[in-house]
Amino acid sequence: MKDVDPITLATIWHSFQSTCREMRHVVERTAQSYLMAHLKDLSTGIWLPDGSTVAVPVGLPCQYMGNRFGIQAIMKKFENDIAPGDVFLVNDPYEGHNTHLPDWGFYRPIFCEEELMFFTMVRGHQMDTGGSYPGGYFPNAYDIHAEGLRIPPLKVVAAGQDRTDLLEFIWANVRWPEAVKIDNYSMMAALKFSDDRITDMVRQFGRDTVKAGIAQMIARSEKAVRGEIATIPDGTYSGESATDDDGTELDKPVWVRLDLTVKGDELILDFSRSDPQTKGFINNVYAATYATSVTAVLIHFSPALADFHNEGSMRPITVLAPEGLVVNAKYPATVGAAPVAVGTQILEAVMEAMGKAVPMRSMAAWGKHRGCYTFALDSRSGKPYVRTTFDYDGSVGAVWGHDGPTGPCVLPTMAQVTRGNVEEAEIRFPWRILKTEIIPDLMGAGKWRGGCGIDWRAINEGGAGRIATGSSDGDVMLGKGAGGGYSVPPSRTFIQRDGKSMRIKPHRLVELQTGDVYIKLSSGGGGVGDPRERPVEAVLKDVRNGVVSLGVAQGVYGVAINSDTMEVDLAQTAKLRAAPPVKECDIAIDEELLSARVL
Amino acid sequence: MKQLTIDVGGTFTDCLCLDEAGVLHRFKASTTPSEPTKGVFAAIGKAAAFFNQTAPAFLAQVERIVHGTTLGTNALITRNGAKVGMITTQGFRDVIEMRRGIKNLHGSIFDQFVEPYEPIVPRYLRLPVEERIRYTGDIVTPLNEDQVRQAALQLVKEGCDAIAICFLSAYINSAHEKRAKEIVSVAAPGVYITTSHEILPVWREFERFSTTVISAYIGPIISHYLNELVRQLSLNQFTGSLMLMQANALVQTPEHCSERAVNLLDSGPAAAPSGALAVLPDRGQANVLSTDMGGTSFDICVLKNGIIPTTSENWVGEDRVAIKMVDLITLGAGGGSIAWIDSLGLLRVGPQSAGADPGPAAYGKASHATVTDANLVLGYVPSDYFLGGEMTVDVERSRQAIKKIGDHLNMSVEDAALAIWTTVNANMSNAIHEMCTKKGHDIRSFTMVAGGGACGAHAAGIARRLSIPEVVVPRVAALMSAFGMYNLDLGLEFARSWFQDRNKVRLDDLQALFNEMRTEAEKEFGKLGADISQLSYAPTVEMRYTGQFTDLEVELPGMEITDLTIDKLVQDFHKLHKQHFTYNLPWLGVEFLTFRLRVSVPRQSMQRLHVAEGGASRHIAHKAVRRVLFADGARETPVYDWDSLAPGDSISGPAVVVDRTTSVLVPEDFDCSVDPSTSLVLRLSSEASAISRRTSKKEFA
Repeated sequence: MKDVDPITLATIWHSFQSTCREMRHVVERTAQSYLMAHLKDLSTGIWLPDGSTVAVPVGLPCQYMGNRFGIQAIMKKFENDIAPGDVFLVNDPYEGHNTHLPDWGFYRPIFCEEELMFFTMVRGHQMDTGGSYPGGYFPNAYDIHAEGLRIPPLKVVAAGQDRTDLLEFIWANVRWPEAVKIDNYSMMAALKFSDDRITDMVRQFGRDTVKAGIAQMIARSEKAVRGEIATIPDGTYSGESATDDDGTELDKPVWVRLDLTVKGDELILDFSRSDPQTKGFINNVYAATYATSVTAVLIHFSPALADFHNEGSMRPITVLAPEGLVVNAKYPATVGAAPVAVGTQILEAVMEAMGKAVPMRSMAAWGKHRGCYTFALDSRSGKPYVRTTFDYDGSVGAVWGHDGPTGPCVLPTMAQVTRGNVEEAEIRFPWRILKTEIIPDLMGAGKWRGGCGIDWRAINEGGAGRIATGSSDGDVMLGKGAGGGYSVPPSRTFIQRDGKSMRIKPHRLVELQTGDVYIKLSSGGGGVGDPRERPVEAVLKDVRNGVVSLGVAQGVYGVAINSDTMEVDLAQTAKLRAAPPVKECDIAIDEELLSARVL
Repeated sequence: MKQLTIDVGGTFTDCLCLDEAGVLHRFKASTTPSEPTKGVFAAIGKAAAFFNQTAPAFLAQVERIVHGTTLGTNALITRNGAKVGMITTQGFRDVIEMRRGIKNLHGSIFDQFVEPYEPIVPRYLRLPVEERIRYTGDIVTPLNEDQVRQAALQLVKEGCDAIAICFLSAYINSAHEKRAKEIVSVAAPGVYITTSHEILPVWREFERFSTTVISAYIGPIISHYLNELVRQLSLNQFTGSLMLMQANALVQTPEHCSERAVNLLDSGPAAAPSGALAVLPDRGQANVLSTDMGGTSFDICVLKNGIIPTTSENWVGEDRVAIKMVDLITLGAGGGSIAWIDSLGLLRVGPQSAGADPGPAAYGKASHATVTDANLVLGYVPSDYFLGGEMTVDVERSRQAIKKIGDHLNMSVEDAALAIWTTVNANMSNAIHEMCTKKGHDIRSFTMVAGGGACGAHAAGIARRLSIPEVVVPRVAALMSAFGMYNLDLGLEFARSWFQDRNKVRLDDLQALFNEMRTEAEKEFGKLGADISQLSYAPTVEMRYTGQFTDLEVELPGMEITDLTIDKLVQDFHKLHKQHFTYNLPWLGVEFLTFRLRVSVPRQSMQRLHVAEGGASRHIAHKAVRRVLFADGARETPVYDWDSLAPGDSISGPAVVVDRTTSVLVPEDFDCSVDPSTSLVLRLSSEASAISRRTSKKEFA
């Protein structure tokens, strides 16, 4: 193998990273979809033809971290029929190893001096993917076919020529074809961009140097990650997490269970004890489980490595998930909600196990995603509208060393989504928003506490319609804290009509009337570490800020504060903190008062 | 009469004086952070001494001072502002804390171990009051005036120096904020007050509230400083006009800026692009890459067709600032940037900087290897003429510091120094390329203007990487911002958010809205004694396709609103959309979001610049021959004295050109010529550019 000096190596490495970021810039500048252009529901990356990961700095983990399988599928199918200028399109979970149908992946083989050296990919959430319901998020689809159009590896551009017959067939099978077409060309333009950037770079350094550089990149990342794993005591650590139900078989939790074994500098993630695949739309195929769980492991390693993960980081990690389980679903299982459920549960199971293995990098669970889809009439325009938003979500969990911030949310996206503005929402939708504010006490306590729970309320000033709580979760099954930190408290959804509150569970579809007040009380994140070790000043600050009540300060954190003077009673505090730990105190939502209550 | 520009940076206070003969004189003093007026007067004192005058005698002959200061930026970034309280709409007191859900603003998704964002106003100082206005401007809940009074009293009791009043929908109906301000001024006399409709009358509450709170946070410091400066200037016989340089590259009076302190963020650095344009007076609507590399950072601005881009999508540190600011990208790369080895064994440079204190290893205080140390070892910056010999540097310390880096990489000191130089160039080039990809520019058609004291040693390296054909290093490179301040308009920006469907909007209402802004402008300019008939108006509309999410700001053909002008506006929107995003959707309707009016007094066009020379005579232009290190080995290289170069001179690489403020490297594959204003123009020599042309021309999207 050719030797590469460290400066050339760093230059090549950074060039791959910035090419990935710039591919995303191209899509953000040229796509019309809100999800892709603004919410970053979009991933880019660079792989070797054997599926090895070269660079993956940007994206949603489940869209690209398991992409080796997708590339291997393309290589197998098109073995001798891959040429410069080709573009492949894939969205099928079963033949293309994708997570769910709306995430379409475009792939381009990159040739340098006639040698196939790389694949680049852009994968993004499309406005529609066909199927029985718009948006591909329907809990009661009969099978994968009802969820949308399945696209196995398909050559849509041959040597620079669009195969318009195929593309038009695809667009004819989705809603809003003009819009989807713009987005597809935007993604293909980003691939063309990557081709130019990468071939330029290879021309500058030479193929052998670049290959040697990649080998070194992978070797260095592998060494660093193995070094991290080697510091973990050998043994088996377990974690588990469940979703409230699968959306079809109601009120029956579905479990993801993990046994994580550390052996020297290797990690084995064994999901064999997880529940069987379900009728509802929460199943993950193996590639999705692989992507999500590997990402969940990597975020526990040194943040200094964050920008440098590649194939080498993944090599020491093995993911076992027998076929037929909710973590390795067989055709024709439905997968619509896979990124959120059981994607979240896979992440939480890994976080729990890794937290036991590496306490100094432990992370608590986050408040669950609280998504709702509203379909109703905007009586101002007389037109129907669809509303989806992240505004109702609670907040992230704590990590060792830091409280969780209030506001960031949605674990499977690693908090890459943004919340909207009230002033924009009120113009766009016929709802007057009454409140978007912190709910005191509705988070997991800890030495580092979770971000706060959020109280979101609005009144429907538009016409009648329906609300689907399709991607909500966390009313019953609670995410865990870490290292003695408290769990994520439960969340609740209500409709207030004629002065009465009706509770709405996750994964349901309900009728909506004019004048209804919709209330989402969404929990914050879990805590890390024993709350009685939280610095007294931090507890006092939380009480002054009204995010922790005096009762919780005393009962959970062991800090006695005089409510008149707002001063800490040090003697009493010392006594409280010296006493044996109390049983974990439960926070629940009072369905009369619609606020958090200590049980 | 003379004109002055004064740029107070973090380390140095730069002063440029344009004398009666049209010659520019450069002066530099140290910044005095605890009492910034001291540094300003030190610089003025140096200028006065140069003209053999006392400061008052000198100032009496100055008709205009344009002043930029990083005081506001520094207070914000170092969290050294006022104690701010907030009075806000009940039910929405956590808007600024939730920060639209952003967790890790700058870093990788694989890094979840980040400190939580601390809002400027802690929750206990964010006090909710009953009031609510609908998006239409209708009042749903009247203002509870008693609660406002109580809130103000409580905030005073808590010791707040400033209060920000931030209500929902105040952009469309400011009645509640206005009334609340009256109540607060009575209940809390002497407290600095900001209201969201005055600071940024534009919809989207997070952005508006955040900006309003920041203005309150830096307001007391800024207004105290400006009062003091005005007082001392007038004590020193200054009777001319003092103008402050704002983030949007317009200048305004101290009175105006005291009330809108947030406008002074980036005051200073944001002038560099104006300077870059002024350096190229004959280029008209040139495509210019403005760069400014100082001790800690590298600012980039891309000017397509000679237009200075502004944006409201700004973050200063961790805080959102939604006023219009010059669109600068800042990278942690400067002369003081520290070289280090990361956990993968790779060389990294920056973003940590040794700054000016302790500074590079060569300064003798610390032992970090910095970019400046590398340049000293390589000979790109002469060790025997550092800052014109005003400062002695110890190259041996530089070598020792770099040796430590070299040992990790198995490299000699020289190779490691070259590696540091290459790496920082790569960082800067990548940032430029990424910015251009974001905006859709092809950088190979741009002229690079290399500003900042540190850029001269790197400009050619960056240009070579990016295939930029031409680099101009201005004679005033080291004082780029102060220079740019000569090239700014006096102006004001107005905005009104008003959500309207193109097909439903009443033109009379629109006309009334623009007339209202115009009347306000005339009133404001009238106060300054400006000739109203000379005002130039630039009305624009922020608009988008109905139901879509991408806003564009489009110019209105004029101040008259008719069906014709609105149709033209919509046509232009389709065109601009295609330009920006590569596609348009002409079958969709359009929505108007925010109406803006920029009013300015056009500046006098700048004459060609003449920089005072150092007094050296022509025959010693060729100072010396030094051993300088390049990628292919050491070379005996001539060193030229910039002061002695004359327009029309040309130099072929390799060469180093020095003066007392900066040092410029001309590599072997570059030619250098001296332009009429004695700026250096570096071009890839014809042979080298033939090679770079061979790399195929690329088009995308």
